[in-house]
Amino acid sequence: MDVVFIFEWLDASMLADFAKKSAGLFAVVQTVHIVSMVMLVGMLILGDLRMLNIVMSGVPSVPIIQNTKKWIYLALAGIILSGIYESSAIAMKLAYNSFFFAKMAGLAMGIVFMLTIRSSVYSRAPDSIGSNGPQPDALSEGVVKLVALTSLVIWFSVAANGRWIGFS
Amino acid sequence: MLNELVLKFATWLDSYQSSTDLHESLYMYGWVEGTHVLTLTVFLGMLLAIDLRLLGVAFKEIPASTFVERLNKPMMIGFVVMLISGVLLYYAIPIRSSQSIWFRMKIVLLISAGINAFLIRKMTRGSDMSWDNSPVPPTRIRVGAGLSLCFWALVIACGRMMAYDWWDCHKEMPQFMYWAAGCVNELAAYE
Repeated sequence: MDVVFIFEWLDASMLADFAKKSAGLFAVVQTVHIVSMVMLVGMLILGDLRMLNIVMSGVPSVPIIQNTKKWIYLALAGIILSGIYESSAIAMKLAYNSFFFAKMAGLAMGIVFMLTIRSSVYSRAPDSIGSNGPQPDALSEGVVKLVALTSLVIWFSVAANGRWIGFS
Repeated sequence: MLNELVLKFATWLDSYQSSTDLHESLYMYGWVEGTHVLTLTVFLGMLLAIDLRLLGVAFKEIPASTFVERLNKPMMIGFVVMLISGVLLYYAIPIRSSQSIWFRMKIVLLISAGINAFLIRKMTRGSDMSWDNSPVPPTRIRVGAGLSLCFWALVIACGRMMAYDWWDCHKEMPQFMYWAAGCVNELAAYE
């Protein structure tokens, strides 16, 4: 499917005009994007490393995962809003950039994965990992750790592809 | 005097072929910078979690000392990788970085963040930890955690701004900016 028309529309928008003219604000928005990325990936790493029993092992996983959620959503909002602003200034460059499309695919996959599989599997972690007491419908340790590893790979690839847009 | 010494050191680093090679390499510079940015998520991600706990706005169910002690190791691993990749990035572009106002501000902020972290560490390992289980720590701890977040957000901002040449030494700018950027030789980065 040809999606270039979306980039052409964005490139011709008032937002793009404004973003192209305000170099200082653009740099500030880039900083917001990076800070949001640190918050998003940092909170996800904390949850994933916890479920791999690498950090905070023995501490109940439920309050840890629960506490990270609010910050993950806040960071996602920051990333998406700042990302749209940044994209508008270089829309036509991004329209033909493979790393941008890889990042977007990874981002979509990461969000869906987080809201469905990751969330569901972590809530059914066995006591040997979650330390939340015995669970009637607990999954095996291997499944929980595989999900944690997959989550780490997805989000690191999103961040890495994002960084590589600047080099391509 | 200090500016001359710093520039002399940077010029000496720049004389190494490996410095030029790293800067001009097609992929290696990108890999080093990518590592630097990705490790931010490990180091600052853990630090953010600790600071949010010390601010009393998240992870309130977990004792503060447990949180700080258990996340210290992954945070420090992230910090070491970030430091090594950061030194390599400086090694690749030593002269321009040395005369960059953003780099200088970043160094000052890093030192400030380090002193602040030392003070927080002292307070969270002190004998009076009666607040350990309390959801909201004492004011002095919260102030330290808030300062930590501000320092690191500004470190990120300065790192990002280094990519822009608005206030490089060869540009026309107010005298104060030449002083703050430590401009000794305005065209040194191009020689």
